[in-house]
Amino acid sequence: MKDHPLSNCEEKFVLAAIAENRRFDGRGVYIYRPIVILYGHDRGCCHVQIGCTRVLAQVSCEVIIPKQTRPNEGVLHMNVELSPMACPSFEAGKQSDYGVEVNRALERLLRDSLCIDLESLCIMSGEKVWQIRVDVHVLNHDGNLIDCSSIAAIAALSHFRRPDVTVSGEEVTIHPLDEKDAVPLSVNHIPLSVTFAFFDQGRTLLVDPTDQEERVMDGKMVVGINKHRELCMLHVSGKMLVLQDQVVRCVNIAAARVGEITDLIKDTLEKDNAARKSGKEFGFAKCLADVILGVDDLLKHYVDSMSVDTTSVGQTAKTVVDADGNRVQMEVDNAETGNVSIKVPGTGKMSTNTEGGAVTWCEGEESDSDVILLDKNDSTSSEVSSKQVSAVVELSDSEEESVLMTSQDLERTELSKSRAIETRENRGGRCRGKSFGGRNRGKRGRGNGQRYF
Amino acid sequence: MADVFKKVEPAEYYRRHLTHDARPDGRQLLAFRDVVVSVGTIGTADGSALVRLGGGGTTVVCGVKAELASPRPDTPARGYVVPNVELPALCAATLRPGPPTALAQTLSQAMADLIENSGCVDAGALCVSPGRLVWALHVDAVCLAHNGNLADACAAAVVAALRDTTLPAITIDDETGRVRVDSGRERAPVAASAFPVAASFAKFDNDILFADPTAEEEALATATVTVATLEDGSLCLLHKAGGSAMTEKELQQCVDRAQVRGAELRHLVNKVAASKEC
Amino acid sequence: MSCLKQSNLRGFACEQSCLTRSDGSATFNQGETTVLAAVYGPVEVKLSKEHVEKAAVDVIYKPKVGIPGCKEKATEQLIKSTCETVLLVALHPRTAVVIVLQEMQNTGSLLSCCINACCQALMDAGINMRCLVCAVTTTVDQEGHIILDPTSKQEEDGKAVLTFAFDSKTNGVIMTTTSGIYSSQEYQECLLSAQHASAKIFEFYRDSILKKLSRVS
Repeated sequence: MKDHPLSNCEEKFVLAAIAENRRFDGRGVYIYRPIVILYGHDRGCCHVQIGCTRVLAQVSCEVIIPKQTRPNEGVLHMNVELSPMACPSFEAGKQSDYGVEVNRALERLLRDSLCIDLESLCIMSGEKVWQIRVDVHVLNHDGNLIDCSSIAAIAALSHFRRPDVTVSGEEVTIHPLDEKDAVPLSVNHIPLSVTFAFFDQGRTLLVDPTDQEERVMDGKMVVGINKHRELCMLHVSGKMLVLQDQVVRCVNIAAARVGEITDLIKDTLEKDNAARKSGKEFGFAKCLADVILGVDDLLKHYVDSMSVDTTSVGQTAKTVVDADGNRVQMEVDNAETGNVSIKVPGTGKMSTNTEGGAVTWCEGEESDSDVILLDKNDSTSSEVSSKQVSAVVELSDSEEESVLMTSQDLERTELSKSRAIETRENRGGRCRGKSFGGRNRGKRGRGNGQRYF
Repeated sequence: MADVFKKVEPAEYYRRHLTHDARPDGRQLLAFRDVVVSVGTIGTADGSALVRLGGGGTTVVCGVKAELASPRPDTPARGYVVPNVELPALCAATLRPGPPTALAQTLSQAMADLIENSGCVDAGALCVSPGRLVWALHVDAVCLAHNGNLADACAAAVVAALRDTTLPAITIDDETGRVRVDSGRERAPVAASAFPVAASFAKFDNDILFADPTAEEEALATATVTVATLEDGSLCLLHKAGGSAMTEKELQQCVDRAQVRGAELRHLVNKVAASKEC
Repeated sequence: MSCLKQSNLRGFACEQSCLTRSDGSATFNQGETTVLAAVYGPVEVKLSKEHVEKAAVDVIYKPKVGIPGCKEKATEQLIKSTCETVLLVALHPRTAVVIVLQEMQNTGSLLSCCINACCQALMDAGINMRCLVCAVTTTVDQEGHIILDPTSKQEEDGKAVLTFAFDSKTNGVIMTTTSGIYSSQEYQECLLSAQHASAKIFEFYRDSILKKLSRVS
């Protein structure tokens, strides 16, 4: 799918506004949009919103065999999915260049900065370790995906609890969650990224660009840093040159922003833990509806648990099932006497009183009946009809071109009908609950309900 | 003339036949095509079966290969079955060579669901040494000709093949931990008692119910239903993917017809299996 | 004869137009099960998928964890054929309607939540539909009792899980899929109970749309 392109006048307008240090939403140049962090019902599920950009992260764990070169360490696996719902230009399944960029940035930020202690994930050296998998799904793209994903990922990692393990000799027991409380991951520090958009060859900087600003920027710089001013990642892309003092300036701004966001993450984590302990409601269900910003209330609707009146269900069901019950039972019992012929040990054929290309596969010879009942292979029937067009019967008196059924076709249907009648008689003992009468149909009305023999 | 009309107005062609109470291939509305079942066709497989519906109809061959493997982490004392349905380009004009199509993947998933839900293979019996070694059965069904009703043919082939599958006895040396296949002892059958049979139906013109649709009928159908029944009359699969709405009475008719079909097909496969032994 | 054990549906919540880039979107909650659906349509279509007479419906279902496999493909096909029935695809030939579903939380009845979210998103996008569709999941527990809108635990403990989708005009069954073993009687009871429940869900759709359009004069 193609996305809406940005028009030239829109582009000029945005650039002109930015040159005057004005942003469309009235923010300051170094200010973030409102950040909302919600935790889901499952442990390790986190939904982050920066303005309209939405990202969902889920952490899961699995026991695997460790790498040969690092037998004592667990594995942290990051996977960022740019879902087509985020932007029409994202394709499902295929990872675009932008997807690879976001993926790599997140890997460097979280995995290479060693924010999770991988040695604590080891169960048995060289044999079993935990693999922690972080799946990040981008739900809506309104700019600044890398920052949003980093907040979601690290918040989910801090929220996650893995099952407890006891090792006794060679035996490894993984305790299910109802037996022993789950254990949090050991998070060394909380690295977050801050994205800067550069305009006018680096003279103007914007923090947290929206999608519109991203489309017109010269380039961007992503600074990965934690609360203690330790730099974890630096990523520059786009067509611009960056000066040394700009980098230092950006890092300082980033450190200030990251401090605020880290406090927000810790705050929301505590609230969620408290809610779980005290038995209050937690999860997306109500939170999402309550907290979404900038959206009309009229778009949300909520209804409490509803009861359904099902008093007559049992009786009605019984009526439906028993309607034909006796006939079915009789036929099932009679099925044992069906015509099964075994020509060769290991191969058997069952004919069920039906025409339609009798199977000649088992038998060596061809029977005459097959010729008449040969299926409507185009070539053969046209061949035959060209030889034998004698009587022509007009079927309907409609205004459209009349259908001509050759005598051969008529013969075929006559034959099938007579066989049908034959077999019906043959089945003597069984009662045919509903029979289809009425060959006389004036109109081609569908009637009410089923037609079947 | 008739085939020109059929090409130009296929639905109308069918309706004209229905006024004479028959389908173009001459069957009654709720009649199934003839079935040929052949078991033990593939000598190199641990179990195999071939099912053919009608003359020149849908043909599916299925082979089962057993492999010793480590169990899945969440089920250390159970083996597992891995079904795979292949629709190669040769089976229908509309298919092209390449990665598995959505239809093939859906059928593979349907077979996996059928095997698991019906319990036709006892996964616990596939365990050789809990936590260390289990049997993994690879069930590969290949469609050789596609003339409608793949679900029934695949299900019949897969279940017949599993019923034909036998596994050799395994001994594990306690000291050395070596695994040995005991070819001297008799091979043990794999299948459990449950014998699911699938029957498919199509609805035409929002009104008329057909059993065992051919490829043409499937193209004209407004809805398709597949019902899988077990010997005791219970159901293990009832699948209707979209299409025109059906009432509960219509669904019950499908279920009833499927019960009868199940009994017939079980009778056939049991007889064929018995004939192979003697 | 089995009887109904739980005839309560969990609390429902929905939010429409929650995403900014897609033509229509909706979040649907059934209890704690949450699914986010986004719809683009009618949009341009790849030549290989183009239909001359109707719109091609494409469904992409994304599970929360892991890479999509055969199981997800089967779910996509199921939802696709359900949507093809309710959408008036003949009105938009040579185009595509793309539906993207994201699982956000799963505490049971996931498939029915997906279909309900789908229907709400399609309504939000304003694509022509011949009728509305809603889905209900039921479970038969080990004693043969029917449970409507089960939680994950109830689904695991039960002997069968059955899902039905109904249309709003005739209340007929558009889609049904089952797993597990059950009898004809149990099947019919589940179907009829689900049909009764679907009336409540259609009421919910109606109320949410009335609320959304209440300010429009």
